[in-house]
Amino acid sequence: MSQAADLTHADVDRLEDIVDKSALVEVCRSFFDLFSIPIRVFSRDGALLADAHETRAICTYVNTLPEGKLACSALVGEVKARDPEGTVEHPCFTGAIYRVVPIRYQGRRLGRFVIGPYFPAELRRVPGSLLVIDDAIDGEKARLALGEMPRVRAETAERLADHLTRILDLIIFSGHRSFLTSEMHVASVRESFRALAEKNAALQDAYDKLKELDRLKSNFLATVSHELRTPLTSIIGYSDMLATGIAGELNEEQAEFVETIRSKGDHLLALIGSLLDLNKLEQGRVSLSLVHIDVPALIDEVKKTLTPVASKKAVRIETRVEGPLPKIEADPVRLRQVLFNLTENAVKFSPREGVVTLGARGVEMAGGDDGDAMGLVLLAAPRSGIELTVADQGPGIPADEHAKIFDAFYQVDGSSTREHGGTGLGLSIVKRLVEAHGGEVWVESELGRGTAFRFTIPEVEP
Amino acid sequence: MQLDFKARELTIKLVYYGPALSGKTTNLQSIHQLVAGDVAGRLMTLETKDDRTLFFDLLPLTLTSEKGLSVRLKLFTVPGQVIHNATRRLVLQGADGVAFIADSQRSETKSNASSFVNLRQNLSENGIDPAAMPLVIQFNKRDLDDIRTDEEIDALAARGKEPVFKAVALRGVGVLETLLGLMDVTWRHLEASHQLEEKFGVRADPLLAELRHHLGVGREAAR
Repeated sequence: MSQAADLTHADVDRLEDIVDKSALVEVCRSFFDLFSIPIRVFSRDGALLADAHETRAICTYVNTLPEGKLACSALVGEVKARDPEGTVEHPCFTGAIYRVVPIRYQGRRLGRFVIGPYFPAELRRVPGSLLVIDDAIDGEKARLALGEMPRVRAETAERLADHLTRILDLIIFSGHRSFLTSEMHVASVRESFRALAEKNAALQDAYDKLKELDRLKSNFLATVSHELRTPLTSIIGYSDMLATGIAGELNEEQAEFVETIRSKGDHLLALIGSLLDLNKLEQGRVSLSLVHIDVPALIDEVKKTLTPVASKKAVRIETRVEGPLPKIEADPVRLRQVLFNLTENAVKFSPREGVVTLGARGVEMAGGDDGDAMGLVLLAAPRSGIELTVADQGPGIPADEHAKIFDAFYQVDGSSTREHGGTGLGLSIVKRLVEAHGGEVWVESELGRGTAFRFTIPEVEP
Repeated sequence: MQLDFKARELTIKLVYYGPALSGKTTNLQSIHQLVAGDVAGRLMTLETKDDRTLFFDLLPLTLTSEKGLSVRLKLFTVPGQVIHNATRRLVLQGADGVAFIADSQRSETKSNASSFVNLRQNLSENGIDPAAMPLVIQFNKRDLDDIRTDEEIDALAARGKEPVFKAVALRGVGVLETLLGLMDVTWRHLEASHQLEEKFGVRADPLLAELRHHLGVGREAAR
């Protein structure tokens, strides 16, 4: 806090810190112009803050005399040194008077003002004290010079001092007020900033903890998945061996049981594989080996792979490739995984005798990473790419679920008795893989009218 | 509290706290009008916007104790609006006593409570134990309709430990009683922690009597 004035108690220690000095000078000047009485304002430690005076004829005369000059400067020193509790009249040997008035503000003496010298109107004769000040003094000259001094009645002097006291109080008050206002303004801003900075630090702390927790989660997932996979491989391997009859012929029931163990084991292995996959994708540890992709061929291949599964439900897989496609590069294994996941899903959710359509077409992709970026229309280079579509005639997905289905472990039908199995990881893997390729995936669906998943892969820069 | 030995000057800071529009500034205005001329300084209002306090109001009162000690009371208000919390906390710094001005209207019960919780929080943040802060409570606006009844307030006041006053600050009713009550608890607290009587020969009763004299009231709390 500043030394000048204490903000806690809104106190003023030094007059010069809060008053508008030019206002003070102007008031003194106009007082002098009006009444021809000199005025000076001093701070508590004696610094002269404002001064309006003209040297009087008597003072000029006295100062031409060697003794007179000494007496005059001694007197001026005395007047300056006075710091009274209440108003005092300090007499000069010329008969003139200096009136010293303390300046008080909020119960404190902050300084004083001095009006004078003026000649008391009541005094008629040249005082003896002036005539003995110097041997060389000329009584007549002194009388003439004194005559030019303003004459003021005691009562008038008191009223003038009161008037000045009030004006000075106002100047100090308004100075103090603007001083406090600006100090409070700065202090408030500083205090708000401090509070915000504290909050920010707390948030950052919480964020760091969450990030660490997330890292631990990923590590845990990786470790657990790995540890699970080892014994699972044995389970699958040994049930395989049992099934082939290495350990002796199985009867029909035993063979069926072993087959169940094996297929559930496979399912578990796939789930663990997905978890590891997702984990790697989340940590951005998947490296893509990009090669040119023949999209129609890829679509055909996925169709061929899934046709046996689809035909069990009498679901038909159709393909539709529109026009020439731009050239794209992608990781063939990963892109196949995306298309396979989506198509497998589509088949799973298709009604009996439904149709699943795999499509591809060239499109203009929305450019830029940040849709809100200023000047996007100028900055974003148009990009073309391929849009792949997997559409089914299944039950559809409610609109409010569209954003959530790409979250890991999210299931539209989250109940334990849900009709379709699955890990809930497929779509989140799809999303991460597509994004790793610089593309986008989204869903278009209406309840009861089927679902279409679309994703884009950008064209290779020529 | 600030004590300047050389200047024989004691400064006490009293803060009027409370929710927006409960009448904190009105309390100070009433005191300013009621107190004899040379005791109260000018009432300073810092930056008001639509008649709402933005930083604080300040009313200085100056008394002289029997031993010639100058006792300066500085009455502050805080801005009541929720968003000015940083300013409130600043004004609260160095407070020796707090008058909590509550709005008696039933509809304001909740904002009274949350402003009081805010007071306690800000005291704690300033490193002051709220329980150790001299406090009086004023239920203002007793002239309005649909206010919490006298019986209700009296019953609650009897259970609480701080003095409770009722006021119509706009008409000056109960305002001086609140100030005297606040001065009373504050002085007792300062006396206990600083032994003002033993060290400086300032006794509570003559000083409070002088304050009462200047305020022109007998000691009649509206309890």
